Amino acid sequence: MSKFDERIQRELEQKTNADVHELKDDIWNEINKELFEGRKTVMKRKKRWIPAVLIAAAAFVIAFTLQTEPGLALIKGIKDIFVPEKELIQNIEGQDEPTEVHLNEGKDSEYIIYVDESRYKMIKGEDADLITTIDPLPEKYPEVSMEIKQYPSDKPETLVKELEEKLKVDFPELRDIETVSEPVEGFWLHGLTESTWDGKIIDVYVISNGKDGSFVITENYFLEAAEGHGARFYHMLQSFEIIE
Amino acid sequence: MQQEKWIQQLQAGHQAAFRQFYDAYAGQAIRTASAITRNREMAKDAVQETFIRVYRQIDSYNPALPFDPWFYRILTNECLRLLKRESPLSNIESVENDPSLSEESFDQLTELYDMIQALDDSHRIPLILKYIKGFTEKEIADILGLNQNTVKSRLFKGRKRLKELLEPTREEDMS
Repeated sequence: MSKFDERIQRELEQKTNADVHELKDDIWNEINKELFEGRKTVMKRKKRWIPAVLIAAAAFVIAFTLQTEPGLALIKGIKDIFVPEKELIQNIEGQDEPTEVHLNEGKDSEYIIYVDESRYKMIKGEDADLITTIDPLPEKYPEVSMEIKQYPSDKPETLVKELEEKLKVDFPELRDIETVSEPVEGFWLHGLTESTWDGKIIDVYVISNGKDGSFVITENYFLEAAEGHGARFYHMLQSFEIIE
Repeated sequence: MQQEKWIQQLQAGHQAAFRQFYDAYAGQAIRTASAITRNREMAKDAVQETFIRVYRQIDSYNPALPFDPWFYRILTNECLRLLKRESPLSNIESVENDPSLSEESFDQLTELYDMIQALDDSHRIPLILKYIKGFTEKEIADILGLNQNTVKSRLFKGRKRLKELLEPTREEDMS
């Protein structure tokens, strides 16, 4: 480093010394209050916004989705109709965070969801699809995943009560069933095992499949990840659209 | 490595580790924010918000990439956001632009720090990142979302301009 470089470096250091000494403790005190002393920021929940092109595309697909070869061809071509990727503004703790999300089709093209593929992957199963972290988390962390499963012959009203009874075994303090319009329109169950950093959280959304059945979306994460994975699952789920 | 350990502990929500991480990172972060914003209160807000965001969003950090540029990208963006919010009508140069360096603004300046601060943001901020934290051109490019050659050029021009201004008075320092 030349003398000139050293001089610039020294100058910047000297002129900012006072701020370091005077601000360091104050800033920590504010951070401590915000993060650890219960002064919670309420997460802003944005109104759902579906681009007109998606509504038009969904209507187009639904209108022509008959059990005919052209209809099936259309379903398979969903990726050609919907925007394959877009920027989603995720509002996490009051901060807007632009994220590129990618279109994913559910099992048998029954739904679409935009997935943040920089962090998550979608695994399609026989009975259900699973969105989970790209790399498995170390063993000490509780499960982080979002499962999407269709129950073709179970109405949401009945199914949510059955699920509530089952979940009460692992989540004794499960909240009462709530009706929500965000991130999807339907019933919501929320449970937490314990208030420790690794306390397991479950969010279950039960929504109509538009016919006689339901879709059940089950989010698993843990308390410390609520602001991260929990918020991101919420935003991804906002893009969920039933195709059939 | 201590940094990796902190990141793992932050991901697990360990408060004590977060305090250690703060102690290690706060000094340089405050210097950087103070130099970028030129305002103590704004620097305080930017650093505070950055640490809160890092704590809450540590799981969005990709461990395959270096941590410091990720941290300083959040900090720099926060500083720029506050600057723009504070002076919505002033023409704060975006680091995406490449305006020529002003001649007139340097007339009254005698101290090097003032000369640095009188450069436009596109030259000033890369210099601050280079000389306070010691970031490489590539790292500065990552932080500011610029091409590495652009950063190289801006550092060169900014440094050259400072040298020209100092030459009449401090030729002995121009090695």
